[in-house]
Amino acid sequence: MFIKGSGACSECGTALRRSNFRLQLFEDPYIEKEIDIRKMILKDFNKKEEDFTSLKDYNDYLEMVESIIYNLTNNIDVESTKKQIEFYKKDNKDLIKKNKSKLSKDEEYLEMLIQQEKQESEVQRQLLQEDEARQKNMKLKNKETLIDELMFSEMSAADIMASHRELTKVTDTSSTLPKKATTEFSTGIKMGVQDTYIPLSKVETGELYKYEPVEVFMCGPKFLSEEELAILGYLNHVRGASNPDRGGGYRSVMACQRALQDSYCGLYYFPDSGAAS
Amino acid sequence: MFSTSSQLKYWTFRGETELAELRKEANQRFRQEHGSDMMVEKQAKYFLTAAEEKLLIRHFEFILREFCVRFLPPMPKYVLGTALSYFKRFYVHNSVMDYHPRDIMLTSVYLASKVEEFNVNISQFVGNLKGDREKFASIILGFELLLMDKLHYHLTVHNPFRPLEGFLIDLKTKFKGVDDVEKLRKGAEEFLDKSLSTDACLLFSPSQLALAAVLSSGSKEGMNLESYATDVLLAGAKEDEQRKTIYQIKRIRYIVKNQEPMLRDQIGPIQKKLEQCRNQENNPESEIYKRKLEEMFEEEEEIQSMKRARMEEAQKKEEQLLLGK
Repeated sequence: MFIKGSGACSECGTALRRSNFRLQLFEDPYIEKEIDIRKMILKDFNKKEEDFTSLKDYNDYLEMVESIIYNLTNNIDVESTKKQIEFYKKDNKDLIKKNKSKLSKDEEYLEMLIQQEKQESEVQRQLLQEDEARQKNMKLKNKETLIDELMFSEMSAADIMASHRELTKVTDTSSTLPKKATTEFSTGIKMGVQDTYIPLSKVETGELYKYEPVEVFMCGPKFLSEEELAILGYLNHVRGASNPDRGGGYRSVMACQRALQDSYCGLYYFPDSGAAS
Repeated sequence: MFSTSSQLKYWTFRGETELAELRKEANQRFRQEHGSDMMVEKQAKYFLTAAEEKLLIRHFEFILREFCVRFLPPMPKYVLGTALSYFKRFYVHNSVMDYHPRDIMLTSVYLASKVEEFNVNISQFVGNLKGDREKFASIILGFELLLMDKLHYHLTVHNPFRPLEGFLIDLKTKFKGVDDVEKLRKGAEEFLDKSLSTDACLLFSPSQLALAAVLSSGSKEGMNLESYATDVLLAGAKEDEQRKTIYQIKRIRYIVKNQEPMLRDQIGPIQKKLEQCRNQENNPESEIYKRKLEEMFEEEEEIQSMKRARMEEAQKKEEQLLLGK
């Protein structure tokens, strides 16, 4: 079919070009089609927000674009929609041309950001390079002086080596790069400076919380706290907690207190007193 | 804690007379619902009496205990205690003729093993039964929700077993009058076992039961624990409270000691009678039950399909609205 590079579809007769075929990117051919149409439409419908007097107009315009795309992808009123597009093209010829070469404000801003980032990394790279070169020079120089000294000095070789080592140590540490403190987060928000002041909304203050001990209705003798249990020696009569037990947060006093609480609780239950309802 | 529990609020009754009355009411209710067209004499012959019901319940309590004791894997005592509590509570407000105790018994044990975190699944559970296990499984699962409903979802049961441990610890720590407290354990546990076949768990607090068990075991072993109760445990109590508590303990010991003997030879005829007069709607083997179940399923399906249709319609409407048609 594409022997000549183009041909008509064998079924519907639409003219097809080999160069217009490509691999399907999305699983759903519907989406693929929609994106294709969108690309085509947006080439002409390229008005920017600045071209409108009000936000509402701009939004109406966007809506119109969307409905055109929707109609085309879903084969609704294709003819009239195409006509509409033609009209639009004719009406806005100049503007379309102009906007083709113009970036919108948002795009401009992004472009600027990218530029800035590029510059910064360039500066950083240069600094690093310079530093490396300097260090290399320094090392070379040190070596030379060492050899010179070894050749001409009257000190013993060991002493020279020792003093030299000290020297290189000093220079090594001094060669660190003067670091520029980061003043921005990667999102572009300035560090440290919080110039956006959010006023705290005034909170209605209710009554202050006052702790009141929980009163437990025991229906029995007063039961003992964990400390009292330990002091009175109750823990000598329960199984001690093993290490795995303790690891799990268990203490022998828990079981002890629970058992005792259960045995005290409800002792004063009498069917004719208030305890029973 | 027992003192703030649903057990105290709803399932601890004033006394045996109140229990007997409630059971009689349940019996009467059943008679009215199912025998309103009968003559009084025929009614008397046809239906079980409250006393017969009581006998049957006791019989099945016995079977329940045997089942739990023989259960594999071995079942902790508190599961048995909880299961028996469920069983007893169920038949306070329901008649034996309405729901067969055999079904409720199995369901009680199954539910109790779940609530008390004794982990057995249904196939393991019916593995302990002889006969058609699949049928048992479907009975148990069928009655489980009903049982919970009839218990008003008050599923926490305070058993006397932990309080007993508490008293033993307390005795060891505070009371010097006994040399070997552990000797008391066996007798006390036996006492609690015996108490399970009475209505004690519907009448007293678990701690009172445990204390009664300890004191009874003490007197059996020839140890004098009276002074522990009065001078140590209840030392801080008001005189009135002390007196009443001791009276409660005496009542428990009396009830547990003087149980009526089981009249096994009467059980057979009663069961035969029950087969005649029981509510067939709640008999998993009856045709009526099966039909009811089917109807329920069909109804559910109908409701489901109706729901589905309604949802579809709503969706369609919404779509049309969106399209602006």
